[in-house]
Amino acid sequence: MIAYEWVVWLILLFPLAAFVLIGVLGRYLPEGGGHVAVGAMAGSFVLSLYVFIQVLQQGGLGGAFTPQTIEGFVWIPSLLPENSIKISLLIDNLSALMLVLVSFLCLLIFIYSLGYMHEEEGKPRYYAEVSLFATGMLGTVSADNFLQLLIFWEIMGLCSYLLIGFWDRKPEAAAAAKKAFLVTRIGDVLFLVGVLVIWNVFATLSFGEIQRKMASLYPGTLTPQLLTLIPLLLFGGAVGKSAQFPLHAWLPDAMEGPTTVSALIHAATMVKAGVYLTARAFIFLVPLSSAVEPPFTAILVIAAIGGFTTLFAATMAVVNFDIKRVLAFSTISQLAYMFLGLGAGAYIMATDVSRGEAVDSAGYSAALYHLFNHAFFKALLFLGAGSVIHAVNTNDMREMGGLSKPLPVTSKVMLFGALALAGIVPFSGFFSKGEILSVTFDAGSLNSGFYLLWALGVGTAFLTAFYTFRLWFMTFRGEYRGHQHPHESPPVMTVPLMILAGFTLVSGLLAYPMQGFGNLVFFQRPEAAFPLLGVPFQHLLLEGVSMGVAVLGLALAWAVYATKRVPAERFTASRGGAFIHRMLTKRYWIDDAYDAFGRTVVYGTARALDWFDRRVIDGIVNGVGRAGVVVATGTDRFDRQVVDGAVNAISLETVRTSLRLRQRQTGQVQSYAWVVVLGIVVVIALMFGLSFLQRWWSGLGR
Amino acid sequence: MIPLQYELLLSAMLLCIGLYGVLARRNGIIVLMSIEIILNASILNFVAFSSYSGDASGQVFALLGIAVAAAEAAVGLAVFLGIYQTHGTIELDKIRFLKW
Repeated sequence: MIAYEWVVWLILLFPLAAFVLIGVLGRYLPEGGGHVAVGAMAGSFVLSLYVFIQVLQQGGLGGAFTPQTIEGFVWIPSLLPENSIKISLLIDNLSALMLVLVSFLCLLIFIYSLGYMHEEEGKPRYYAEVSLFATGMLGTVSADNFLQLLIFWEIMGLCSYLLIGFWDRKPEAAAAAKKAFLVTRIGDVLFLVGVLVIWNVFATLSFGEIQRKMASLYPGTLTPQLLTLIPLLLFGGAVGKSAQFPLHAWLPDAMEGPTTVSALIHAATMVKAGVYLTARAFIFLVPLSSAVEPPFTAILVIAAIGGFTTLFAATMAVVNFDIKRVLAFSTISQLAYMFLGLGAGAYIMATDVSRGEAVDSAGYSAALYHLFNHAFFKALLFLGAGSVIHAVNTNDMREMGGLSKPLPVTSKVMLFGALALAGIVPFSGFFSKGEILSVTFDAGSLNSGFYLLWALGVGTAFLTAFYTFRLWFMTFRGEYRGHQHPHESPPVMTVPLMILAGFTLVSGLLAYPMQGFGNLVFFQRPEAAFPLLGVPFQHLLLEGVSMGVAVLGLALAWAVYATKRVPAERFTASRGGAFIHRMLTKRYWIDDAYDAFGRTVVYGTARALDWFDRRVIDGIVNGVGRAGVVVATGTDRFDRQVVDGAVNAISLETVRTSLRLRQRQTGQVQSYAWVVVLGIVVVIALMFGLSFLQRWWSGLGR
Repeated sequence: MIPLQYELLLSAMLLCIGLYGVLARRNGIIVLMSIEIILNASILNFVAFSSYSGDASGQVFALLGIAVAAAEAAVGLAVFLGIYQTHGTIELDKIRFLKW
């Protein structure tokens, strides 16, 4: 139990209040309300840390902490109380860790923003939007049910759109924002469909309830097909949000936003939400009861997309010259590692469950361990890149070089980040990446397809080291190739960088005091295992392999870009090499294909519909209108001629008759008397005539 | 006793004379007198049928009719006098102010 559990609400409400306050009053605040945003985030961080420590103290290590739902209010009531949809917060090991991680990184990024955004226009808008962004992520990771998660998820989608398009006068930024919004929307729709399917099957959206109901509904209501479909739909949402193949196209373009926004999207929020969602989807992937057949197909899809995307994105990073785009591709690649780890881990766990054994949650922990480490070093790399861009006013690495002299702090912290990303011991990336690859290799004994995915992962480790150090050498070594006068960033920017640099070293080693990361974040069963200590020889060998290829990649980058012993042109000299280079530069023509698809299919459909609208629909409408006119003309004529004619004729005839009749109204008494006498004569004649006729008839009858 | 037929024949003759006067003469006074003749023809009928059936009520009606005729003649003369004063004539074909 968490003492004073209402403080968890404040974690969300602080940045939300900052959003409202800055949004309304930001213009009148110094720094456009930046200090308010930083303060609110600091409050969130302190409270998150409090919650995290409570979770740790009450058995977070070793897993005695029972997931706690902090009851909120009923949002959508239902006749059955258990079916009503509540807004509640869930605190377990995973969400407590995510809250700390997100709020800490957001805090550092916000502080850095004070320096980086100092000279920008529209700071209130920026700080309001990043505060809302942080609210979205904090809400996503603390949501108690899928609907609430979806709501905060969509808030993040909105904020990413707004922030990527922050420089809204740049057409590229506007286009990138639109692209990010539309591409992630595809995933969001899948996620929404997934939520609806879950509701239809379970009649609840809460994670705990679903887990409890799983065994009783299988295989009647919850057919094996549905159990496969649900995690795949949720993963579809994660693919969009975490920019996995084939919805990866938006993330490199998202670099059009300010660098701090890139750091926010890549390190703390947004793309991590996809991994978090997939981790939550483990309740479907790994059912508690051995009576439920786990959806192996869905698990394989997740692992395969992860394994493929990791190499796919890494190859594109190798040829890019934009310092931020290289990092963007590396984010896609590293997130794919996490999905690979989740997929491989789920496969092992699902096999354990179906065999009725205790689950081994190593893959789950490894993936989230990588998420944890990646958050620090990617935030560091992005903020470092921001510092470089701040100094030289360009993103193009061809106009950098030799910056380690004017930017001593930045170059050193970037080196830390690069070592962590490349996976060199003892930096954080080494531990988590190695664990993911070990788990993938282990899964290979169950399904040999995982050996292929492992090979892809190892290849990626090589490429990762290569492009990371290509970036570092091109930026900081050699001669300066630009025309600016670079200078080091102010302390408000370098201090967060140094803190993060410390964490890139520490976050991996943190696994030792907590006896393995699997002891802190796990699925069902904790697993205490020190990294590299007391593990089987095979695992040491695997870690050695991933480290070895990383060193190889580093060495190649050093040879090509630092000493120039191997000129870069040699790789593109042959026709095959040139073709590959062109293919990678063009990002496998996937963006072009999407554009072409948009141009031909979407635009063509739109044109066809436009034609249909103009010709057919409008034709029908106009035809109806014209027919109306014709009918109206006809009835008008009928009205004027027949109806009016009849009325006029009657009145005219009345007048004429009256004119004729009044001739008889002579005013002469004797003429009236004549009429009276004649009338009497007629009456008498009739009486005689009638009585005669009557008599004649009765005489006839007799 | 005079037979009923004679009396009815006389009454019819009086009626015809009166009708002729009403329809053909132009002087208002003469027309008024002709109306009196028609009235008297009908009163003669009352008296004739009364004596024929031996019932006295017809004679009572005859007296009532004579009284009404006197009153009517007085009213008619007054009307003509009024018309003469305003229009200066009692020629019936000149009196056309009841026209439209």
